[in-house]
Amino acid sequence: MVERIEDLNLPNAVIGRLIKEALPESASVSKEARAAIARAASVFAIFVTSSSTALAHKQNHKTITAKDILQTLTELDFESFVPSLTQDLEVYRKMVKDKKESKASKKDSSTTENANAIATAAAEVAAE
Amino acid sequence: MMEPKTQPPVERPPSAETFLPSSRVRTIMKSSMDTGLITNEVLFMMTKCTELFVRHLAGAAYTEAFHQRPGETLKYEHLSQLVNKSKNLEFLLQIVPEKIRVHEFKEMLRLNRSAGSDDDEESESGSESDE
Repeated sequence: MVERIEDLNLPNAVIGRLIKEALPESASVSKEARAAIARAASVFAIFVTSSSTALAHKQNHKTITAKDILQTLTELDFESFVPSLTQDLEVYRKMVKDKKESKASKKDSSTTENANAIATAAAEVAAE
Repeated sequence: MMEPKTQPPVERPPSAETFLPSSRVRTIMKSSMDTGLITNEVLFMMTKCTELFVRHLAGAAYTEAFHQRPGETLKYEHLSQLVNKSKNLEFLLQIVPEKIRVHEFKEMLRLNRSAGSDDDEESESGSESDE
């Protein structure tokens, strides 16, 4: 839930950095322009979210998927975002998968370690 | 209304890293009505595309005003000009309006009053019957 309207603001510092990245060398941004871009970004997020939700509902889905967002962006005339976003998604999915796998293998090794410890303990007990 | 060339978003290698705080993006998404569950993947996508949008908006406004000339200052007016021109930024017309001077506003009011006597129906169509 949104308690205060400021909860919808995006952090100035990050916005400033993103803007700088998009501008040519030594260009600067007025405070007012940065504030307007930050506001626009929040509204963009809400706009894309509600459009994606509508799209998902139309297909009788309750939750939005990555695909809904990509399709919405195309419908809203931001198809130029789709290729790089698709690539980011691939990298993200790979990262999540790798994380899961490394977690799983860690768990595996820890359980075998445990089993080993128990086995040695049992052997020690038996030897006594 | 002319269509500015949609320039490709700023070149950058694909990455799973985000800069904007995703908790904040989640709050923003939640503020939109009947957003259901938000999966981590969707939150990631939303954060990324909002970042792309920030870069796009800033870059396009600058390019529109100064082309690739370095060292200029991006101002509010450049943004509102771009918003006014671009079809896909129409949703920002109320968010980044063009500034007008008080005397221009007064003039507008005067013109409205003299011309607006016949079209005073406030059509706020928010009727959604289904669902």
